[in-house]
Amino acid sequence: MTTPARRRLMRDFKRLQEDPPAGVSGAPSDNNIMLWNAVIFGPHDTPFEDGTFKLTIEFTEEYPNKPPTVRFISKMFHPNVYADGSICLDILQNRWSPTYDVSAILTSIQSLLHDPNPNSPANYEAAQLYRETRREYEKKVAAIVQESWNDDDDEDDDEGEEEENNILNLMELDNVITNLMLPLFQSLLDEPNPNSPANNLAAKLYQENRREYEKKVKVIVEESWIFIGEV
Amino acid sequence: MEGWTGVATWKWIANDDNCGICRMAFDGCCPDCKLPGDDCPLVWGQCSHVFHMHCIVKWLQSQSTNSPCPMCRQEWKWKAG
Repeated sequence: MTTPARRRLMRDFKRLQEDPPAGVSGAPSDNNIMLWNAVIFGPHDTPFEDGTFKLTIEFTEEYPNKPPTVRFISKMFHPNVYADGSICLDILQNRWSPTYDVSAILTSIQSLLHDPNPNSPANYEAAQLYRETRREYEKKVAAIVQESWNDDDDEDDDEGEEEENNILNLMELDNVITNLMLPLFQSLLDEPNPNSPANNLAAKLYQENRREYEKKVKVIVEESWIFIGEV
Repeated sequence: MEGWTGVATWKWIANDDNCGICRMAFDGCCPDCKLPGDDCPLVWGQCSHVFHMHCIVKWLQSQSTNSPCPMCRQEWKWKAG
């Protein structure tokens, strides 16, 4: 059944794919367009750099007239994020506008990682450390950056209450990798950087013998189809 | 000549192509309607922002206290005729 909210979400998805903002990615879950999974890469020059923070976005049929509920699924340590992952951000509450879309929501949260607002703390410890002992704050953030790399499957092992949260079940790792991570790495396939080689032969061929490089790449392109067939 | 068939085109004159609320084209209709045209009109606010009438009405009705323009947050005032 299509409803105005669902049609709007399809538009949001299309826009996100056609004009993807840097460092964020999102997609509807497999069987429910009202529930999205998203990833925000920790912005450069912040303690969150290199973190891959996963979120869920839950919409109601009142969208876009009412904001969605956005929650971090990855553990977060930030002055404006509550212990349960929900986010204290004005545009998701009283400053919501129906002109916002998923792209705008994700980039706003990304900029919140950049500029915490310690005056309306959701996490007092984080707010206090941010204001008074920045070094201690950065240490704590570094720990959750590391945790963000762990597979989702293990994440709730030590926190039993999260297991009850069925949203987590929808957050299947495969789905996250194919729908969310790949677009972020796609540009790397477009423009290899031969100056920091992880594969010396590939880097050398790429630089010196492009034709041989393309031949090798073609082989793995064909192999990639066989792999899908076997799975 | 035995007959002729007239064809006309029409277009809303708006600054934008899409409604900022539903993101559908102004030349189309809002997601609640099936046919574009007089049954799904565009409306302007005094702030000069334009939306499908049905979209802005739904937004204003969903707000309990103030009713800001979705674009500029000024209080929404209908622009006369």
